[in-house]
Amino acid sequence: MNELLPFVIIGITTGSVYGLAAMGLVLTYKTSGIFNFAHGSIAALAAYAFYDLNVLRGLPWPVALLLVVVVLPPLLALVMERIATRLADATATMKIVATVGLQLAITSALLAHYGSEGLPFPAFLPVETVSLLGIEVGIDQLVSTGIAATGALAFYLFFRRSRLGVRMRAVVDDPDLLSLSGTGPVAVRRSAWLIGTWFAAISGLLLAPQIGLDALLLTLLVVQAYGAAAVGLFRNLPATYAGGLLIGLLTALATKFVVGSETLAGLPPAIPFLVLFVVLLVAGKRRLVEVGAQLRAPVSSPLLTPGATKVVVLVTLVVALAIPLVVGAKVPVYSNALVFVLIFASLHLLVHTSGQASLAHAGLVAVGAASFSHLAVGAGLPWLVAVLLAGVIAVPVGMLVAVPAIRLSGLFLALGTFGFGLLLERVAYRTDFMFGTTSTLEATRPAGFASDTVFYYVLLGFAVAGGLVVAVVNRSRLGRLLRAMADSPTTLTTLGLGVNVTRVTVFAISAFLAGVAGSLYASQSLSATGTPFSAYNSLVWLAVLVLFAMARSAAPVLAALFVAVAPAYGGGEAMVDWMPVFFGLGALLVALHQAGARRSGDAQDADARDIGSRADERIGGGSAAAERLAEVTAANTARNGSGAPDGARLRIGASR
Amino acid sequence: MLELTGVSAGYGEAAVLRDVSLWVPPRSVVALLGANGAGKTTLLRVASGLLKPSAGWMSLDGADVTGRAPHVLANRGVCHVPEGRGIFPTLTVRDNLIIQAGDGDADDAVERAVSAFPILGEKLGQLAGSLSGGQQQMLSLSRAYVTDPAYVLLDEVSMGLAPVVVDEIFESLATLAAQGCALLLVEQYVTRALELADYVYLLARGRIEFAGEPGELDAERLMARYMGGTHA
Repeated sequence: MNELLPFVIIGITTGSVYGLAAMGLVLTYKTSGIFNFAHGSIAALAAYAFYDLNVLRGLPWPVALLLVVVVLPPLLALVMERIATRLADATATMKIVATVGLQLAITSALLAHYGSEGLPFPAFLPVETVSLLGIEVGIDQLVSTGIAATGALAFYLFFRRSRLGVRMRAVVDDPDLLSLSGTGPVAVRRSAWLIGTWFAAISGLLLAPQIGLDALLLTLLVVQAYGAAAVGLFRNLPATYAGGLLIGLLTALATKFVVGSETLAGLPPAIPFLVLFVVLLVAGKRRLVEVGAQLRAPVSSPLLTPGATKVVVLVTLVVALAIPLVVGAKVPVYSNALVFVLIFASLHLLVHTSGQASLAHAGLVAVGAASFSHLAVGAGLPWLVAVLLAGVIAVPVGMLVAVPAIRLSGLFLALGTFGFGLLLERVAYRTDFMFGTTSTLEATRPAGFASDTVFYYVLLGFAVAGGLVVAVVNRSRLGRLLRAMADSPTTLTTLGLGVNVTRVTVFAISAFLAGVAGSLYASQSLSATGTPFSAYNSLVWLAVLVLFAMARSAAPVLAALFVAVAPAYGGGEAMVDWMPVFFGLGALLVALHQAGARRSGDAQDADARDIGSRADERIGGGSAAAERLAEVTAANTARNGSGAPDGARLRIGASR
Repeated sequence: MLELTGVSAGYGEAAVLRDVSLWVPPRSVVALLGANGAGKTTLLRVASGLLKPSAGWMSLDGADVTGRAPHVLANRGVCHVPEGRGIFPTLTVRDNLIIQAGDGDADDAVERAVSAFPILGEKLGQLAGSLSGGQQQMLSLSRAYVTDPAYVLLDEVSMGLAPVVVDEIFESLATLAAQGCALLLVEQYVTRALELADYVYLLARGRIEFAGEPGELDAERLMARYMGGTHA
């Protein structure tokens, strides 16, 4: 028992902080309907701000602490409340993309400004130890646990007892009614965001002394709070705190048990995501009810006529064919871009066509890359066979990701897939099935096509083929089903069409393309490693893809050019470091813009919902008119919803 | 005086109210009648600030309050008892009353609500969502007792309730009127509403079709035209 005690203490110390962070996360989600993916980066921001003031500017630590704890959270809370209110009218995907973008922006800005090397964080709490139950425990650990536990308890009492707490619970139920009772919901939400960001900031300051100053690590450490929030089913605060403790304890104990095993070393840090994934799966849709209005994708018409589209595609192809003749030594940059076209095309299929936000995409590409190396180099299979087989191997993994897609939707699907992606990265990447403990595998190019220029054309062939696959899927019955599913799964079910097979199918196709892309990536760079496929990059990719969502079907190509080519022409290192910041901010702006456009211009859709769901008033002469309006709106949405040329045939079962 | 002048409103492109003018004098009872879909609820939503009018203006005791937020109007004496059950189902009865009190004294609020609806006193710790329909409506209605409003907008408060409960609700409306609250009453029990009312407005397809005293209203004929028969 005494052997375990130190681990238990570490578990409680960190778990307590996770619990506090998770309570802040759940509070803001409950009151605003926006799940803040940027929660962890706010923690990191607070830690860096303290470092900047204390170490770089030489302020005494109490002053720095006061500034970080008293000044920073209100400012952030004001911004977050505005963002969240505006996002209330956005689709589930855009709500996710917005805060994912914000997280990307904050974390990347910290990395770009302070460097990606971990910095020593000033130990502002006393580090002497005291003896507790025969174990030496650091005073800082005790203080940290105490602060987190007191904060959590005080907040819980406040939430249950105080008038503002009651109002926070009321704003969850019915903000309009709260307003009718003389309390403005905005002020209440602002207070909720204040407490939420406050808890994030405090948890950042408490975690940083233990792990050092590393923006990515800090951001991801508070991501551990997702698991805790899941234990509380994203609404129960005490259970959320308990979830934090549970995760802390499990992680610490797992550390003890995997000591010495190189392969399992990734397990302890993956436990929060395991908890997140399992809890989400077990809880399912029935117990996980999303807060806030669930809206359909906005109505958008195709940008170009079919004729113009053909011309654009042709011109693009000609330019693509000519590129190696023009760019000289930069051919590999463009080869890379072609691989990314395939990656983004497969993601596009999931996110845009079927309306499912998947945050495990980098994992699928990684599976492809690793499998390719094992098949082509390890087993000596012919190149093309290895590439296609690697795609096939990624399919079951993609179907595994599809399991949460059946059980969950919207936000919880995104969280589930993110959990899965992190799990894959932490546990599977370093096993011998994937990149192994050496973490780099060899990869080859096909014999006779090995030169950069020739291989560029091979990749171009794959990119075009991938584009064709996506186009065929879009135009087929499956494509119509997918778009209809993105529009309204309920309608699809009432028409007698199961959505589960459709969901799994689209994940399978997407995974195949991602797996092939992974092989090509490895082939292009002549080595396979997990670094470019971190779970964090799944977030980056989604943000970039959404950034170009305006371009409809051309989004994957533009996104690929942006990710792969732009850095090669940008102003050097600094530019490359700052680019994710722009991706993130761009994605946030796109999401906010979409929500704003829906509110003003495309208001018709939302109005039909307003009239229908709240049953406020039937227009004109009774319910027939309201039904007619809903019908017309639905038809409009169906006609224009996907922006696809054959959209008019979208209403399954209905005669044209 | 709560005064709406030339108000048009709707949801997006769908106009529900067109050029509606309506006055609620202090201490008076005004009945607002009309068929389903005439725009009664929308009119109340405009009057309490939940919906911003697309045209026209609104004044409260002489001051222009067009487009003010609902909580601002609530604090200036406009109390809207919304359609359905205007309660927070996941909060206890006591917490609901605390919310209704706004920034006022919570204990005082509970006391007032309980003296108006004694049954609520036995249920203070219970979740509002677990109350019976009638009790929920009483809790919703208690907001008019808790804050001393000058104008109370009531949207079908008797809807879906047992006749004996309806009697109790109408008694409480009479009490409110006797206490000096002005009431703007949307009701399906037309005759009972007319018994209480000093003025009547008839709304059809988003326009005021009739405004006057209940005596001026040829009930049979108008009921036949707008209600498809008498409803009391």
